[in-house]
Amino acid sequence: MLDVALVLASSGCWFAGALLSAFSRPPERLATGLGLLGSLLALGASIHLLLGGPTSWVVFQAWGLPARLEVDALSAAFLLPLHLVGGLGLIYGRRYWPAQLPWGSGRSLRFFYGLLVAAMTLLFLARHGLVFLVAWELMAVSAFFLVGTDHEKPEVRRASWVYLACTHTGTLLLTAMVILMAQRMGGLQWTVLPVSTSPWFEGGILLLALVGFGFKAGVLPLHFWLPSAHASAPSHVSAILSAVMLKTGIYGILRVSCLLPAIPRGVGGTLLALGALTAVYGVGNALAQRDYKRLLAYSSIENLGIILMGVGLGWTGRATHDPWLMALGFGGALFHIWNHSLFKSLLFYGAGAILHATGTRDMEALGGLGRRMPRTALLVFPAVLAVTALPPFNAFLSEWFLYRGLFTSLAHGYPWSAALGLVALALAGGLAAVAFARFFGTLFLGSPRSEAAEHAHDPAGSMLLPMAVLAGLCLAVGLGAFLLLPLLDRAVAVLAPGTPALLARGLQGDLRLLAGLELVFLLLVAAGLAWLRRPEAVAAASGPQDLPTWGCGYAVPVPRAQYTGSSFADAWAPVQPGLRARRPHLRGLFPGGASFRQAFKEPVGEVFLEPRVARVAERLLRFRRFQQGHLPVYLLYVLLTLLGTFLWMLLRERLLG
Amino acid sequence: MLQFLLHGLTVLLLPPLLPGLIAKTKARMAGRQGPPVLQLYYDLAKLARKRAVYSRTTTWVFLAGPVGGVAAGLAASALVPFGHTPAPISFEGDVILFAYLFGLARFLTILSALDTGSSFEGMGAAREATFSALAEPALFLGFAALAKANASLSLGTMLAFPGSLTTRFTGPLILILAGWVIVYLAENSRIPVDDPNTHLELTMIHEVMVLDHSGRPFALVLYGASLKLLVLGALILTPALPRAAHAWQNWLAFYAALAGLAVGVGLVESSMARFRMTKVPQFLVAGVLATGFAFLLMLV
Repeated sequence: MLDVALVLASSGCWFAGALLSAFSRPPERLATGLGLLGSLLALGASIHLLLGGPTSWVVFQAWGLPARLEVDALSAAFLLPLHLVGGLGLIYGRRYWPAQLPWGSGRSLRFFYGLLVAAMTLLFLARHGLVFLVAWELMAVSAFFLVGTDHEKPEVRRASWVYLACTHTGTLLLTAMVILMAQRMGGLQWTVLPVSTSPWFEGGILLLALVGFGFKAGVLPLHFWLPSAHASAPSHVSAILSAVMLKTGIYGILRVSCLLPAIPRGVGGTLLALGALTAVYGVGNALAQRDYKRLLAYSSIENLGIILMGVGLGWTGRATHDPWLMALGFGGALFHIWNHSLFKSLLFYGAGAILHATGTRDMEALGGLGRRMPRTALLVFPAVLAVTALPPFNAFLSEWFLYRGLFTSLAHGYPWSAALGLVALALAGGLAAVAFARFFGTLFLGSPRSEAAEHAHDPAGSMLLPMAVLAGLCLAVGLGAFLLLPLLDRAVAVLAPGTPALLARGLQGDLRLLAGLELVFLLLVAAGLAWLRRPEAVAAASGPQDLPTWGCGYAVPVPRAQYTGSSFADAWAPVQPGLRARRPHLRGLFPGGASFRQAFKEPVGEVFLEPRVARVAERLLRFRRFQQGHLPVYLLYVLLTLLGTFLWMLLRERLLG
Repeated sequence: MLQFLLHGLTVLLLPPLLPGLIAKTKARMAGRQGPPVLQLYYDLAKLARKRAVYSRTTTWVFLAGPVGGVAAGLAASALVPFGHTPAPISFEGDVILFAYLFGLARFLTILSALDTGSSFEGMGAAREATFSALAEPALFLGFAALAKANASLSLGTMLAFPGSLTTRFTGPLILILAGWVIVYLAENSRIPVDDPNTHLELTMIHEVMVLDHSGRPFALVLYGASLKLLVLGALILTPALPRAAHAWQNWLAFYAALAGLAVGVGLVESSMARFRMTKVPQFLVAGVLATGFAFLLMLV
């Protein structure tokens, strides 16, 4: 009772803060303070619950029917990143997007940001079909307004409309799912179905959940709204969209699957394969991006694929009653959700700082920011190592969980999906290294490629502070993961009842050794740096201090001659499905002028869907004559509909017998 | 305890000997006297006393490559068994840490090359990123096959597997080792993938990435490269070595095999030229296919 009250109070705080921001002269300190208080309340409740507090709920009447809000360990596992990133984003946003902008978008941004966090908090509590859908829509619509904050720009408007269409298609499917579930459970309240009665019925629920939630999570063919929406939103909004809102899709899939009596074995393997494809596809496209925020969005698709691989593994374990596989799969997925929300929001905050300082999202116009924005570079560096899953940072450990799960699956005799997952995970790691070497190298290293990058500077302290917190957490989780195992176990126990504390028992020792070795690595780095700092034995002749890079004898290097990000990733052009290049054909001994053009088009959204959707829209134009704009005509429609309904009521008995 | 001490001393002191052995072999094959076998020790001692020169574009990332490379190599060396002597640290899943530590070293090297802002070093970094992303799957598929063969994810058990010479496993093992030799040559920038002695920047891969390093950072780069020769060498040698009854015999066998490996690399380098840059991916894919096929053989 205590925990759910705290979380509800937190949702209320965020809502109140959002309302305050909507005033014409908003009391910004008060609104921010309310939001932060809400975050602290929810964080406290979720940590209490994950440390072993009992599941707590509240039952009330909604539309005359009993409804239920509950916070269990699974909800807590999602509330944790939500309120961490939500609260930090509030601090970050104060300077990133000041409230008093001439066009007033600052107020709408704050209002919908608060509403988004409040809605998602409610979403994780809902155990009632209608409450869930209301929270879901509230979240989706506030995200729409957040993506469209900068609606003066046509591409932003476009991105937000595409997002709205996609999320509503998803909601349609989810509504159907809620209806089916209500039919099966005898009410809108969600209860666990103990035995399977009709495999078709439950299969339908599962399929609708996978597709409906898949839209939100960005599973492979349903991801096309994501990159432009995340690139267009203000950076701290991109952070919360990527770090938490995408995960609500995963939460939905997990929550619904908990209610179902069984998951067929093939579904787990299929989901694993789908996740593997999503991961490789996402990172392949990340390689091709010139827009650094779009690169981060594609990397989110990759990470969602990795999370889905974990869910698929867990489901395989559930279908075959393999507790260890369940623990590793679900545990890996949840752990990666935490880790991804830490490093991805850090990366988006970093991207926001760069955008704030230079005003461009084009990587090829930047460079050398490491010297001009040293603090930002230092804070983004851990996130770059984490996103490529390198030790000693956090994401390495969640991938380590998944590797162990995949090998366990291999040993227990489900080889094909596991083998595919194994190869995909290794390949995605390798490609992510190329993509993020490009990201960090082109943005922060070398010399500036434009005037804008030349005069960049570090952002204000209130923007750096959230980044510092996240960077510290990335390292702390990487080193102290063995302390988190009991917490993960609690969340896994919701998904896989009957696996008491398997992770803590099975992985504790291994993770301690791993952390020890990582610590040794860090100490060695420190020792190496100390040795480089010590003065040399031979007294140095005082040579010139300000020297250019060795350019093979050429003493006046120009920034334009640097390797660009595009050429860095050029060898991988064949695996970047959306990259279109027009290369010149050089013929003869003295060819004339030549030009090279390269452009990126989202393969599913822009190349495949857009022309088809346009054609369908054209066909549908003939229905426009029904929209006359005259009130009497609409009254006629209403009358006709009413008559039709009466007719149906009268004839129903006879027609249906 | 004594074993671990010997392990540590081997890791710290032995690596610079290997490039010396390779160079000596190459020189002898060409009928030259060649530099002394201990040349790299002298070089390191000299570099450690020299002042480093830093370009005006570089930042702290420039030092992350050399320092991180050596630190990751040393940390990884604690996980790998030398011959049939068990590794100092061993746990279930350490093989993934091992692979990712080398990934970390490579990532930092690439970043420190990009930090100079030189197009030559950028080119080298791009090549290194591409080729290593191709070499990585070969390493991983080999690990997967070994893990499937003896149901363990610990390097010690996987490599020093007593049943590795049973008939069921001989074929896959040969394929794995063949694939890993390709990885070994590629990761250590050896002919036929990369020529460490080339003097045209346009044709270099690894060497061009460290053009700007000098003094102590460069000493760390050289030491890190030789460390990689040792640690990855142990990876290839261990499954192929017979198990002896006494610890000292195991150590002796390991040292002898390591010297043999260095001489073997020297022989390869003397007998063939570097591939054209466009051919290198094909060579690496051959390694992926060999280990991938070994993995398939273990699955069916």
